Order: sequence, then structure tokens, then C-alpha cells
Amino acid sequence: MAKCFALMGWSLPVIESMQKTGKPFVVVSFPDFEPYAKENDIPFVPYQLDEWSDTSNSLDLVEKLNAYNADVAVPLFEETVEWAGALNSIYRNDPRVLNRAFLFRNKAMMKRKALIGGLRVGLFEEVHNKEGVKAFMKRLNEANLQLDGEEDSWVHIKPFASAGTVGHRLLKSMNQIDEECEDGDFPCLAESHLSGREFSCEAFIHGGKIKFLNITEYVKLGYSNFIPEGHYLESKRDLIYKHVQKLVDIFGIEYGMVHPEWFLTENDELNFGETACRIPGGHILELCGKSYEFDALAAFVQIHDPSLTDEELAEILPPEGFKPKNYHGNVMIYPHKKQFSKLEIPEELNNESYFVDHTLVPPLSTQKISDERAGFGNHFGTINFKGEDPDRMTELLKYYQKVDFYV
Amino acid sequence: MEITKNQTFEKFEESFKAFQEASDLTKREHASKLASQIDILSLSEDGISYLYKRSVELDEQGLFSGTSWAEPTKLIPTLVKGTLLAGHPSSSFEIVSDLRLLAYAKGAESNMISQPVAKTLLEEVLVHNLEFALNDLSEDTRQTMSEREVKKAINLFSFLLSETPIEGIYEKLALEVDLICSQRPVETRKARELIRLIDQRFQPSGESKHDQLVRTFINALKAPTTFIAKERSTPEAYIDFIQSCSADELKSEAIEMGESMVRTGLVSQYHAYLLLYLVKDNHALVPACLGLNERGSAEWEKFKDIIVSLISEIVTPNNYQCIYGLSWVLGRNLLSRRPVRAGLENLRRAKINPQVEKRILKSIDDPDSSVTALQYLLGGTLKVLGQPLGVGQGNNPTCQSARGISMWSQHAPAKLIDMIITVATQNNLIMRFENQDLESIKLGKGLVEKLDFNLDVVSAILVPHLDRIYNEMMKRSMGRADDPHRWVNPAMYGHWIPVGFASCYDYTSNSILDFEGFIRIFYAAFHPLYNDNNQVLYPIPVGIYVTSNHGDMLGFHAISLLRVDKDPSGDYRAYFLNPNNEGRQDWGQDIKPSVHENGEKAGESSLPFHQFAARIYAFHYNSLEATAHLHLVEDESIQEVKKLAQESWGKSYNWIEQPKLW
Repeated sequence: MAKCFALMGWSLPVIESMQKTGKPFVVVSFPDFEPYAKENDIPFVPYQLDEWSDTSNSLDLVEKLNAYNADVAVPLFEETVEWAGALNSIYRNDPRVLNRAFLFRNKAMMKRKALIGGLRVGLFEEVHNKEGVKAFMKRLNEANLQLDGEEDSWVHIKPFASAGTVGHRLLKSMNQIDEECEDGDFPCLAESHLSGREFSCEAFIHGGKIKFLNITEYVKLGYSNFIPEGHYLESKRDLIYKHVQKLVDIFGIEYGMVHPEWFLTENDELNFGETACRIPGGHILELCGKSYEFDALAAFVQIHDPSLTDEELAEILPPEGFKPKNYHGNVMIYPHKKQFSKLEIPEELNNESYFVDHTLVPPLSTQKISDERAGFGNHFGTINFKGEDPDRMTELLKYYQKVDFYV
Repeated sequence: MEITKNQTFEKFEESFKAFQEASDLTKREHASKLASQIDILSLSEDGISYLYKRSVELDEQGLFSGTSWAEPTKLIPTLVKGTLLAGHPSSSFEIVSDLRLLAYAKGAESNMISQPVAKTLLEEVLVHNLEFALNDLSEDTRQTMSEREVKKAINLFSFLLSETPIEGIYEKLALEVDLICSQRPVETRKARELIRLIDQRFQPSGESKHDQLVRTFINALKAPTTFIAKERSTPEAYIDFIQSCSADELKSEAIEMGESMVRTGLVSQYHAYLLLYLVKDNHALVPACLGLNERGSAEWEKFKDIIVSLISEIVTPNNYQCIYGLSWVLGRNLLSRRPVRAGLENLRRAKINPQVEKRILKSIDDPDSSVTALQYLLGGTLKVLGQPLGVGQGNNPTCQSARGISMWSQHAPAKLIDMIITVATQNNLIMRFENQDLESIKLGKGLVEKLDFNLDVVSAILVPHLDRIYNEMMKRSMGRADDPHRWVNPAMYGHWIPVGFASCYDYTSNSILDFEGFIRIFYAAFHPLYNDNNQVLYPIPVGIYVTSNHGDMLGFHAISLLRVDKDPSGDYRAYFLNPNNEGRQDWGQDIKPSVHENGEKAGESSLPFHQFAARIYAFHYNSLEATAHLHLVEDESIQEVKKLAQESWGKSYNWIEQPKLW
């Protein structure tokens, strides 16, 4: 069993879960958190994680963590994936662990790896300026046999190394490239539009095998999801399982959790979108834990430990074949208007039997939203639902995503 | 899918459990989720009493740790309202905090606060929030709080009021009754509730000023004459008594009954029995029983038959507050106007539309099946005609409609009756705006989302129509580079409104333009020292900025300037109708409109002239007349007003000094 987990990044829910397990851990994060950690008796190593220098590097960090006997590093956030990779490659004495971490941090490299391994991916290319995007769109148009007057093929651009939807743009025409792309966007990955129904998986991997597979149904990307998946995706579970295992094999992932996003087409083909190996957004592990009745955060941390026995694994993961009693879902609420002054909770929510709770807060006097949003911007709170019928759940999440809570 | 009460409680308990299980690290996050359950529970009365039962445990489990509610002894009662205004989650925490105070005040153990301290705190909280306890919201509350938050606050305070030991706030409540009744509101339900509350919870038997005051009001409802007080007479026994007593005794009953009503503006059931008895064959005593002034008595002599039949038709032991209205209908000699007589006659024969009938009964607190909707409506009409300044908007954003009803009642009573008849029978209303007919049922929604039926009957049926028409007129006048009220007011209210219009707010630049010029016109048009001592004739529609007690801008409000006169101390005051019927107003900068003791007639609010001027942004005036007096207005007066304006609501705007061609 691991002597001590090094949690890479500051997350109160994860710390709380680890405290409950009674397993030793130490948190590595920015010095700003140190006073709070001291006050609350949280083992803590302050580290300038955004710096790479003589005084800030993995060898130095390993030294510091030796005081805690740390032997397993766990990436909690996108930005700490390389740090955890570097530490684990030292702990496991396997340099390729670090290289694998880079896979997760460079979307172009990630796609190439997937392509080589035989997963279906879209057409993609690294681009360095607007002209590059236009050239990419042009080639895509040609490949799609575009005729005069027909619309351009859609192109997505995304930064190589950002989480989820941050910095993501969808470009539908040549004009839009001129209007919307900024110099700061480059270099980045340009990618053809993948069609199909989007969903994510959270696969807990140990010894290179999936030990538990969660499927998260996206009702609307960035806004709402629920767990377990609805009837349709559930009927494709085997197919999905096979693809995730294939991904794990191709990437050579041994320990940890992967969070790939897929597009399922009507012909039952799975297109690979991208994958991450940190805690997914959208409170997914919270929902997952509730539905499968286990501490998903504690499991996420511990699954990184190569020395776990099968018995120990069985203790931290839901039993095989476990059928959740309820669907848990949430919708993240963003203001619809640019200017608003009040939080208004609609009456029907009070009487909604699926409603669990919400974390909405009122705006600060009259608040304006700036035009610049990263990804989908910051949401103002989450509404949680719970119930037995996935169709009703879908309906509710769709509905409340459209309700304007901020007026 | 409606959920049951128990499910709501279960969800709360689930969330409470998760909160208790959370470690300190995520306690606040779970507290905010728990607060969303508290929010929902506080929307119902059952929910509030459930929360009350759990409040001590919520406190002990650390709901408030790390928040400003953590130390109960440091709570500041005057801040409670602000916290409620802030909405969820603050308001939800506040509700549990106040409920735990109640628990501690009633003896629950706490090592944080003693019973007496909890009790004092709670009393103070109640005193500062009577508007919620009595469901009588102030303008700033209405402007800021959402319907949902209002509902929560009202639930909380009615619960607190019914459960709190409230000896400490007796005097405050006594003054509150006086404040409400001195305005002679048409709708007396709040006054009655408050008086009943005081009667149930206190023994005002002493000789103090407050005891005497309170007794007057309690007696007006329970024992308006000496006989009833002495005998503790039931209504049945009272009927026996008046049928068998001597002529002298009957006379003194009539006089005392009339006096009690005149003194308080409140009518009791006994009054109905007596009056119905007297109109049968004791006509000589009717004027006394109605508390008539000289003009009223003359009117009685002239129209005895009509009055007797009105009384017999309308007044019943369950429909009696209208007696006060009738008294003033006679006092205002309204029956001497043929159109009013004819209008009332028409209304008596009206066949009420079933939809309207529903609305009428909805506005009656506890409608009695022996009273018809028409009887209620006729009674309500008498009240509005008799007490034009007692018309209020209730808890609705419909100051414009209330202002109209009040004005028609004062100056076009027959027109008002005719509107009542049209709406009552057709559930529709037509007005003309710039050569186009506006029919209310064909129009979109007005300002009211859902009418709060804590309203007098006439308002309850008219306002939905007036509100739509008003809103439509506003829509059609938008985008004309000046305040739409310039065109809407004269069209809506009628030819009594001068067409001259001044607004200091400039629509194109969203700024205050030439405020000095604006105030100069106001003084020249209305201040007796500058306008050749001319008096205000008809109510002048005025738009004002409502400000908080810190002088901060809250929103817009419609009122009517009724007259400008010297007050008892010789200063010029503006007397106005605030359809909000608010007694406790504090607009900041020491500007506190009063409702009595400064020369106000019942229903009027008043302010020193310059303070009034410091809150206005638009008014109608006679532009031909005023121009001639502009040069008379002293600069000092203008600067005084300007300073007040700039340091309060004016902070929300840019000020452009450039003179405007008015």
C-alpha cells in the first residue's frame, strides 16, 4: 500500500475524502494555501507549480516530499498533470510515465497517438496563424467535395493544453476565421467537426485494466450531465467499454483515471474527441459517487497506487455489476443576460420532486458579465437533481438550462 | 409532479445530514446547499414552523459558524431587513437565525446567549420589520425584493409575531395603529388585524396615553358604545336591546356609534344592526348614527329615500365598513350630483360578469355567503367615493392606477362609477389614446404579474384593466425622446391634467439635464410665494425618485401633488397622495414624509416644500402661467433643492448643467 499520496493541487473535497479514508497524504500547491493548511492541520508542501527552474523542478520537489514518504503522485488539475507524471516516473523508475503525461497535455500528440493506435479521430493539424486555419478549412472543403455556394466545413480550434472547453472556438466559415481568431489563439490545434452524440467516460484503471467504468451522459456540453448514462448509451455499454480499454492500451496507461470524451454516431461508431487524466469538471465525480454509492474522489486518488491489492480495490470501488438506484444530474447555471440584478428561483423548482439542492448565489448589486469568457465562463452555481427516470432527468436538465435565474 | 410536505422535510433532513457529516473543510459548501432547502421550506407556514423546531440544532451543528450570524449577541436588529432584502442565501440564513432567537427567547438552552437578551433582540427585530408581520410593505421593500423573498419574510414574521412574547413592543404597536388609522384607508384589514393582535396579547387597561389610544381602537371594533362595553353585549343581545330600549337610550347609542366611527374611521358589526334598525322607522337618528357633518345632514334631508334604500340594500351585518364611506359620500354632497345618483342607480341594477365576481370575492377577506358580490361592490364603491385619499395600491406595483382611481373619485365620481359598471358587467374597459381605442382585454400584460388581492373591491376589479391600458399607452409613447408620461398622464387621467410637462431626466443622454431650470419651473408653478399665491386645483401627477433611508436611489414612484399650504408652524409644505399609504417613510437626508400632525387631511402625506422638490423628476403644470413667474424664483431655494438631490438619488446619474429650452 502507498506510504503517502502526494495530491497535486488544492481541492477541499479531495482533502476531505482523504481525511475520511485515514490514508496518509500530503498536498502540494501554491504557497497561498499554506496558512489555511496549517490552521486545519493539513499536511502541506508549498510549491511554485507554475515555475520550472533550478529551484522549482521535480527532483527538488521529490526531495521535499521525501519528508512525507510520498510515493504516489496524483494530478488533481490539468495544470498539474506533468508534475504528477514527473514524480511518478521517479517513483516507479519508469521515464515513460512522464512522456505519457505529456500525451494528455498536448492535444495534437494525443490525437496522433490515438490515430496510430486505430481510434477514429477527425482530421487535425497544428496551425500557427489564421492563414493556417483557412488552409485547413480549404483542404477540408475539398475533401468534403464542396460545390460553389455550399457552406464551409466546420472547424474547431483549441489550445494544445487547456482543460475542457477553455479556449475552444467553433468556426463555421472563412469569414468567421477573420472575425474571431486572434493572434493569441496560436499556435493551436485545428480539427474537423465530429458529429455524433457526445458523452464522457471516467475509467478507473489499475494494472492497465478498467476496474470501473462510469459513463456520463451529457445533456448539453458544459451545462448539464447526469450519471449513470441513460437507456440508449447504456445499451452501448459494451461497445464503449471496448473502446475505452483500447484507448488505455494504446496510451499505455497503467494506473489512474482517464476521462475521455467520445462522439457516438448513428452507425454505432465511436469518434474519439480527447481525454484527460485529472478530476473532470461539472462535478462529475460527485454525481458518480452519489449514484454508485462510493467515495469517487478517494477512489480517484487511491487508484493511482500500483501496490493496491484486488481486495483493496474492491473496497474502494463499487461492486462489479452494481446497478445505481437513482440518476444524479446537475445543471450549471449561467446568467443569460449581460446585465442583471436579481436571483430569481422559479416556483416550479420548489415542487419538483427530482430537485435536491442548489448553490446559486445572488449577483453583487447590478453585475455585468464581461464579453470575455474562458470556455463557458464561470457558472453562478449548480442545481442538483436526483430521480429514477433518465428521460425525466434529461427533460429537467434541458428545461432548467433555458430558465433565466438572473434577471 | 407535485411533492408532498413530508418529501420536502425529508429532503431537508437529507441535506442536513450531509451537512453534519461534512468536515470543516467543506462545511460552508454544504451549508449553502442546505440553505437552498431552507429557502424552499421558508416558503410555507409549515416549513417555517418545521425550521423553528430544527433551529437550535442547526445552530449547534454550526450552520452559522464562520458567518456574521456566528455570535447571536452581536446581531444588530436594524440590519435584519437589509439582510432579507439581499435575498437568498443571506435571507435563508437570517430566517433560521431569527427562529433560533425565538427558541432561545422561549427558554431553549444556549451557551451563546441568555434568554432575556434573546428576547430583547427578537422584540427589536420585530419592531423594525412590522411591515412584514402586518403584510404592509413599504415602497423600498417592494422595489427591491422579489415576490418569493417577500413571501419568505412574511411567513417568518407572522410566525415570530404569533409566537413571540411581545410585551416590549406594545407602544410601538399602539403608534402603528394610530398611524394607519389616521390615514383613513379604504382597506381596513391591516388596521383590524393589528388591533385584534394587540387586543389578544395585551391588557391596555391603564391610563397611559398609549392605553387610552389603544382602547379607542379596540372599542371601535368590539364595543363602540358604552352600553356594549358595559354589558359585554353579543350582537344578538344588542338587537334585543335596541328594540326594547327607551328613546333616550336609543339616541345616545346612535350618537356614540357615529362618534366612534368618526374618531377612528372604523366600523363595527353593531353599527350595521343599529343603522338597519334606525332606517326602518327612526329616521331622525340616522344622521347621528352616520356621524354626519352639516352638509351630510342636509344631503340626508334631501335624498332620504335614496339613502334609506342604499343602506337597506348594501349594509348587512357582514358588510358594514361601507357605512363610513357612505357617511362621507353624504358629507361630500355627492348625491346632489345627478350623474352620481344615476350612476349608483345603474350600478345597483348591474349584472356582474362571473370573472369579475370571482375577483370581487377574492378581495374580500372572509366573504360571507349571505352577501352578494354586487353588495360588496356597491359597498366598496361607497368607500372609494367617500374616501378618495384612502385609496391604496396594496402590495402591487400599480401606483399609477391607484392615483387615477383616487383622482376620479375626487373630481369625476360619476365617471369612476361608470368605469366600475363597465368593468363589472363587461370585464373590459376602453380608453382612447391618440385617436386609437385601447380595449383592455385585447392588450398584453401590464405591470402586475399577479395581482395581490389585499385590495379594496373597486381597485381589485379596476386595476387589472387600468394597468394594461396604462402599460399599452406607455409602450406606444416609448422612444419619443421624452418621458412617456408626458403623453400618457393626460390621456389616462383626463383633461384635469395640465398638458405642460417638465422632466429633469434626459432620455437620450441618460442624465439629469438643467436641474436648476427644472426646479425653477416647479417653484414658479406651485410655490405660493412665486406663483401669485395660486392654489393647486386638481391633483398634479408627479414622478418621484424613491430613495432609501440612506438617500440611495431605489426606483420610480407615481404620486399626486394635492396642494401646497402653510403648515401649523407657518412653513410651506407640499401635501400629496402617496398611493402606497405608507406611514413610516424615511427617504434619507432627514426627509420623512409625515401623515399626521403637520396639517394633513386624512390620507395625505406631506413634506416641507423644498424636501418634496428634492425628490421629484417629472411633473405636469400649466406652461403658459408658470413661464410668467420664472424670474421670481430665488436662486438660493433652487440651490438648496439641488444639493439635496445631488447628494442622494442624483449620485446615480450624470448631471449636465447646460440650460435647456423648456
